[in-house]
Amino acid sequence: MKKRLLVIGLDCAAPALVFDRVAELPNLKKLMDAGIHGKLRSCDPPITIPAWMVMATGRDPGQLGLYGFRHRRGYEYNKMWIANSTAVKEKTVWDYLGEQGRESVLVSVPPSYPPKPVRGKLISCFITPSSEQAYTYPAELRQEIEERFGPFRFDVTFRTEDRSQVLSEIYQMTENHFEVIGYLLQDKNWSLFWFVEIGVDRVHHAFWKFMDRDHHLYEPGNPYETVIPDYYRFLDEKIGQLLEKVDDRTAVLVVSDHGAKRMKGAFCVNDWLIEQGDLVVTEPPQRGESVDKLKIDWTRTRAWGWGGYYARIFLNVEGREPQGIIRPEDYEAARDELAERLRAIRGPRGEEWKTVVIKPQEHYPELNGEYPDLMVYFDDLYWRSAGTLGYGTMYLEENDTGPDDAVHDYEGIYILYDPKKKGGREQDANILDIAPTILRLLEGPEVPGLRGKVIE
Amino acid sequence: MEKEFTPVSIPTSLYKKIEEKIKGTEFSSVSSYVTKVLRESLSKNEENKEVFSAEEEEKIKERLKALGYID
Ligand SMILES: [Zn+2]
Repeated sequence: MKKRLLVIGLDCAAPALVFDRVAELPNLKKLMDAGIHGKLRSCDPPITIPAWMVMATGRDPGQLGLYGFRHRRGYEYNKMWIANSTAVKEKTVWDYLGEQGRESVLVSVPPSYPPKPVRGKLISCFITPSSEQAYTYPAELRQEIEERFGPFRFDVTFRTEDRSQVLSEIYQMTENHFEVIGYLLQDKNWSLFWFVEIGVDRVHHAFWKFMDRDHHLYEPGNPYETVIPDYYRFLDEKIGQLLEKVDDRTAVLVVSDHGAKRMKGAFCVNDWLIEQGDLVVTEPPQRGESVDKLKIDWTRTRAWGWGGYYARIFLNVEGREPQGIIRPEDYEAARDELAERLRAIRGPRGEEWKTVVIKPQEHYPELNGEYPDLMVYFDDLYWRSAGTLGYGTMYLEENDTGPDDAVHDYEGIYILYDPKKKGGREQDANILDIAPTILRLLEGPEVPGLRGKVIE
Repeated sequence: MEKEFTPVSIPTSLYKKIEEKIKGTEFSSVSSYVTKVLRESLSKNEENKEVFSAEEEEKIKERLKALGYID
């Protein structure tokens, strides 16, 4: 009989919180002792969308044409679209397995709304507008789940200063997920079972400053100090209960899409561009105004930026943008010059930053979709990019759009337990390695053109 | 490295017509206009990206903002 694989996706799980604290996590420790584990270098950008699809397809964001949660629609200034499952055109590992007649169960692997047909079962992810929508494949699965466990909980309400409320919602959501997963694990046929728990990411973003002594907002003796490690222990227990439900020919892969680290602040990139003369406005921005609403004089604007865990910078180019002013023949020089200025940005106290600037055309071997002209990781991702502006300072202590104590980090984790193999090894890997590893493990087809290596 | 721009030849008469057409519009150049029109014509054949209603999209944007993914 062919092997089966259970993929336990922990969105945002960080090496320091798993490997350095593994003594408190007996079930993960068992898998580590018997398997291979290491840091997993995420893609660029190290963001949930596209990272999970990079894992599932073995293709990088350039090939996927996915650079985050939203994209410009063509080259117009104010039209955009939100990433969703239909944007993923490359085949996933479950598509390949499906062609061999093998079934998969997929729970909340982003982006999976709207639910796409799969050979097996699927529940969509946290971009699902609400549990009022059709969120399963096949459609009947929804009723089956709701009869037993109530409406599926896709996410928590995040924008709130009431952290206790957030915490209780995170626990309720994760409980709900593991109930559903435990049921599907036993009730359905599958070769591949892949779920993603988004609660890990949410607990990081809401509670990091309470735990991390190096965080600028950390307060000793605060009541939430142990929230994050406690949640990991709770997860470990839940994972232990799942592992009791699978047989001994089941391989297990615990994996995260990126890591996390403390946020130092948010940098208002559009205020900076205004100051530099690259962005020209006809009316001064109001406090906290979004760049989408800003009154911009496009006939004098050379560049503007988007916020998020990283900044996307767009140039206003003649022949591309409707009112572009940078001449195409000057594009490269203008971009290099801007990149250099971005790299030279210093922190609020004049401290040097390790800002990374990426040119998509050079970074990705293949380039599709609506990519930005520059991708910027301010201070090595420690400073997120604020899309809003007009605060009177470019440096915000907190996220511009709500509490957010953590940013993403390049390195996530993986633990691969294969019952047929001897383990106990540590070996770092790349997110592109996951798809070929899954296909090899499950004796799927050899897929040409995958750049990752099999982890073995 | 892939270059961001590449030239295309079109008849001069057509070029002049477009030049006339975009006078006083938001388009700063013939290329900008041609890019937009070609993109629109091509994207008609692309799969519809409008998965979310306008109302849903606003809701999701707010949520993604609160989560830190955008803005
Ligand atoms: Zn993530």
